[in-house]
Amino acid sequence: MESQPTGPLFTWPPPSHGLTWLEILPLLAAAPAIVLLVQGLVRGRLPQPAGVAGVVFFPIAAYAFAGLLLMENSKQVQFCGSCHVMTPILESLSHDNGSLASIHYMRGRVSHDEACFVCHSGYGIWGTVGAKLAGVRHMFHTVTGHYDRPLKLNGPFDIDSCLSCHARSANFRAVEAHQALDLQEALVSRQMSCTGVCHPAGHPDDAIAAGAPAS
Amino acid sequence: MIRLACLLVLASMAAVVLIAVQTTGTNAIVFSFVGTPLLAAGIAVYGIQRWREGAFRSPPPSQRKRSPG
Repeated sequence: MESQPTGPLFTWPPPSHGLTWLEILPLLAAAPAIVLLVQGLVRGRLPQPAGVAGVVFFPIAAYAFAGLLLMENSKQVQFCGSCHVMTPILESLSHDNGSLASIHYMRGRVSHDEACFVCHSGYGIWGTVGAKLAGVRHMFHTVTGHYDRPLKLNGPFDIDSCLSCHARSANFRAVEAHQALDLQEALVSRQMSCTGVCHPAGHPDDAIAAGAPAS
Repeated sequence: MIRLACLLVLASMAAVVLIAVQTTGTNAIVFSFVGTPLLAAGIAVYGIQRWREGAFRSPPPSQRKRSPG
């Protein structure tokens, strides 16, 4: 196996410079809540202002900040790969297996930190909202074990994710097949997708079929 | 009742700490499906206790303070 080149140029992302505000805020809100809650637990009573602050105000603030942190961090590739069923798909990105995902990932055409989110979230703010709702469904399926392998996309792949980068590219427009009006109409109306017919499948079959069994 | 409310909310704070320390799929599931119901239940128990103490009821007319004049 070839050894990978090393050095500061190949170290990415750069070393962290400590915690960000988004990571600190949930803990800052949770800390006074925990102090007041422990006090209430030991004494069995809390004065009204302390009770409202410790049981209602600080915990809700901590949850709101933690929710924001979760929304932001759930865009990370490592987050998606942390569930066993997704781990083989994440590993397949770094292998030259000819899948569309690995081609994009290995050539650096998509962010290595947020590759899953970039391609699967759709375009614009509603794409992000849809991705977050889909994430909640994914968590529900993981908890209940209600999913089948090989994994299947819920509906057609949203090619707006592809087009948001490719549609204005000169190389993409120069391809004769892309200039055909009937093909353009089929793509825009979602009767046809980029992957599977003209371009390779998004992920290799063995990665989609692998993963830990539902439990 | 106050002890129960504190215990439930305290348990939900553990989910916040988990998410802040390490955001993984498992911790996200704990945060969403365990922590959130615990927080809601804790706040509900606290609200019921405060209601029993008469916090949300207006005092009877005889106990209302009259403004001078």
